[in-house]
Amino acid sequence: MHPMGTEADVEEALRAHRSPMESRLPHAAESEVLRACLAGAPEAFRELLARYRQPALALAFQMLGSAEDAEDVAQEAFVRVFQSLKGFRGQASFSTWLYRIVANLCLGRLRSRRPCLALETCREPCGAADSEHQITEALLARQVLARLSPELRAVLLLREQGALSYREIGEALRLPLGTVRSRLSKARIAFREIWKQSLQAREGSP
Amino acid sequence: MTCKLYQTELSEYLDGELPAARVARLEAHLRVCPHCQGELQELSGISGYIRAASLELRVSQDFDRRVLRAVATYQVAARVLRRRRSLLRPLVVAGIIFLGLLGALQRLLLSRPPVLPLRAPQAAAAAAAPAAPAPMGADREDR
Repeated sequence: MHPMGTEADVEEALRAHRSPMESRLPHAAESEVLRACLAGAPEAFRELLARYRQPALALAFQMLGSAEDAEDVAQEAFVRVFQSLKGFRGQASFSTWLYRIVANLCLGRLRSRRPCLALETCREPCGAADSEHQITEALLARQVLARLSPELRAVLLLREQGALSYREIGEALRLPLGTVRSRLSKARIAFREIWKQSLQAREGSP
Repeated sequence: MTCKLYQTELSEYLDGELPAARVARLEAHLRVCPHCQGELQELSGISGYIRAASLELRVSQDFDRRVLRAVATYQVAARVLRRRRSLLRPLVVAGIIFLGLLGALQRLLLSRPPVLPLRAPQAAAAAAAPAAPAPMGADREDR
């Protein structure tokens, strides 16, 4: 027996995940999807993936500044969700739980590769942004985020991107409430200052 | 209180996390302080910039497939591990029982009194009293 199962075993398990989606699932409430997932319905996990793929990736991307790293982290986060779904008590919402996993995975990565300034923050956003102004804003925002410390970036993104409450941010990052308050305030002020400096630098450059 | 001290409260105010008593005090200050009004406006604009940062983030086409493959790999590995455990469990139980029996046997043997080597009763008595006086009759014969 292969120590972790053969490729054929993996393919067989994968086939179950490709089973046709029940038509009601995409419209079902989150709690119902979670229940179905816990009951072992592979299509329910696919539904969770469809619902939360984009926000998880966006958070990871803004934390790490690299689309490739963001996908790696988001993938790992979804596997962890699958592994520990039985332990999910539902005290927080599923998205809060997922954001917590993503944020902590990102912080772990950033700690192991400091100092970092992601090069991809300078790449233009993909897809059709509405206007040149929007593209400029998106690029600038990425550059500013990349210049914040990972700790400040994490609280700011969990609040702004994930819409987590202060208590939820504290739980996610294991921080006292007072630290969440002060870090968020510092992060916003730092963001604004770097934003202004970057704008001035752009206007000053030919 | 100076504007600098209010500045830390502006962030909590924007998030709706400032306690009610302090909200009233801050709003009273904001009504009379154009500087803090400007600060509030600038800080409130940050949300929009951050949302813009992930605008049109493109997901690889094979992202879902990769996640599902990773999940399937985990499932298979977990299944193999469970199967191994279920095979090992009887062996472990048998081993524990064997060791338990071995321990019990050892205790039993150690708790018994030591077994002395068997000797004839007279020889043993002689060995136990080496300096016994000579019988009276023997003295008389010597004389």
